[in-house]
Amino acid sequence: MSQTAVARLQNVTKVIGKRTIIDRVSFEVRPGEVFGFLGPNGSGKTTTIRMIVGLMGLTDGDIYIGEHSIRKDFPKAIVQVGAIVENPEMYKFLTGYQNLLHYARMNPSITKGRIQEVIELVGLQGRIHDKVKKYSLGMRQRLGVAQAIMHRPKLLVLDEPTNGLDPAGIRELRDYLRRLAQDEGTAVLVSSHLLSEMELMCDRVAILQKGQIIDIRSIRGEAENQGTALDEVLFEVDHPDAALGILAGQGEGRIADGFLTLSADRKGIADLNRKLVEAGINVYGIRVKTKSLEDQFLEMTGSETIG
Amino acid sequence: MKRLGNFMKLIQNENMKIYLRLRTWIMLGFIVLLPPFLSLAFYLAGGENMSGWSMVLIESRILFFLITIFTVVVAADSVAGEFTWGTIKLLLIRPWSRSTILLSKYLSTMLFALFFTVVAFIMTLLANLVVFGFSTDANLAAGMTDVAYIWKFYLMEFVTLIIIVTFGFTMSSAFRSGGLAIGLSIFFLFAGNLITGLFALANKAWVKYVLFMHLDLTSYINGGNGPIPNYPTTLGFSLAVLAVYFVIFNVVSWTVFRKRDVAA
Ligand SMILES: Nc1ncnc2c1ncn2[C@@H]1O[C@H](COP(=O)(O)OP(=O)(O)OP(=O)(O)O)[C@@H](O)[C@H]1O
Ligand SMILES: [Mg+2]
Repeated sequence: MSQTAVARLQNVTKVIGKRTIIDRVSFEVRPGEVFGFLGPNGSGKTTTIRMIVGLMGLTDGDIYIGEHSIRKDFPKAIVQVGAIVENPEMYKFLTGYQNLLHYARMNPSITKGRIQEVIELVGLQGRIHDKVKKYSLGMRQRLGVAQAIMHRPKLLVLDEPTNGLDPAGIRELRDYLRRLAQDEGTAVLVSSHLLSEMELMCDRVAILQKGQIIDIRSIRGEAENQGTALDEVLFEVDHPDAALGILAGQGEGRIADGFLTLSADRKGIADLNRKLVEAGINVYGIRVKTKSLEDQFLEMTGSETIG
Repeated sequence: MKRLGNFMKLIQNENMKIYLRLRTWIMLGFIVLLPPFLSLAFYLAGGENMSGWSMVLIESRILFFLITIFTVVVAADSVAGEFTWGTIKLLLIRPWSRSTILLSKYLSTMLFALFFTVVAFIMTLLANLVVFGFSTDANLAAGMTDVAYIWKFYLMEFVTLIIIVTFGFTMSSAFRSGGLAIGLSIFFLFAGNLITGLFALANKAWVKYVLFMHLDLTSYINGGNGPIPNYPTTLGFSLAVLAVYFVIFNVVSWTVFRKRDVAA
């Protein structure tokens, strides 16, 4: 257990009634990393996040932010956290600015200048003095991000933050979160069931199913694996059947959709290609089909129904 | 001192959420306009010989009724509203304990009641000074000037208001439903009189400890034996009973608010 973790969950368990909703969940989020929290509907992402920010009590286990326990030392722990839990609900009868002012007043470290800075950062300067009831969902999401980062938290927790954002907004948020992690060393925890999105934004992902963590894996570490990992390789050739015969004994080959399909690493691809060419087969194209996180995720959680 | 200054910012926040709503200003409009309206209407209806003090008393009774309802509405929104709106999730993830946040809500609700009561006091005096004048004595109570009577009336009524609003605040915190909190408090306000009448018939000593029996303290002003006909009580006794209920209500509010999971 490293001392440098910003957030540390230890055997976090939540029982409501007789149901164990979260079951001994443990993980840590390190400074400067974007940590993804991935799981199908009802797997317990929001419940875990509610416990991290102290909205729900823990049945068992503990959560530390820095060295402060959220159970025993709430104000000191939470002051280092910024969060949006589910939808960014704001006071609709107040303006965007008044909403920010409201939360800023609760934390003496936030200056007026800082409020202005975050307004510009989330691109709301044109509409900040409008009442929130006139905001679109995306604008409220931006306001939600603004209140979460105002006090420069060490840990930023966002529950499905791309909800309601347009593609440009999603991209902007993704870039911003990556920059926040890299430049300021903020630890970012994002939950999502949009897998492709997690691949683009996270360094590590924990996969949650039925309240249990079934896997934690690196995503950005992929580059290290390059060269050894076996990927699906598709060869587009003029005579797939003949080609399959030539490559017999080179691993499990098959023909799918007119393509010759094999598993191979980088070096293997070059070898296979040479063999085909030397045998007089015309190779029109080679395509490597990397297994996306989505495939792996579905493989792991199965075509499981909600729960 | 620094902490107190920071706590004042929480009160400032709660005030912002009360006074930046149109609703609040409509409520204030009622309190401001009702006394001149009633005084003028009564004057024009042939009551030009009315003593200003009597009219102050009548209008103040009505206004206390209104202020109690208005404050209960504010109390209901103050806690239950945050749950309904979902804003509680952003409010509670700040470096403040839940108890302190609830205290800022309770105090700002009481400040609202105090503000409205002061406005009501000033408006009834002003309106009746202009319309009827205070030259004739209304003899509201024997052995006491009218001014002294009105003054005590406001004190007694404000105590009752605090109890009912505290009850509303507790309902708001316990059930997280503003409508239920408002409904039960208004029932409380009305049922007080009915239940007092009913229990007064019962010849049991425990009637003295029923909260409803002590919601009208004005009978003590001119040295009466209290609100329960069969069982004479003193003002001190009534206040002690109210204090016990006051503590119970607040213990419930704080316990529930501190402990409960926020799953809204
Ligand atoms: N207050 C509650 N009482 C009882 N059960 C609850 C409560 N809140 C959540 N649950 C249950 O806990 C489980 C996890 O819910 P949670 O909202 O954490 O899932 P989630 O991963 O955030 O799902 P989604 O992707 O739909 O947002 C669900 O089965 C849900 O029914
Ligand atoms: Mg969720």
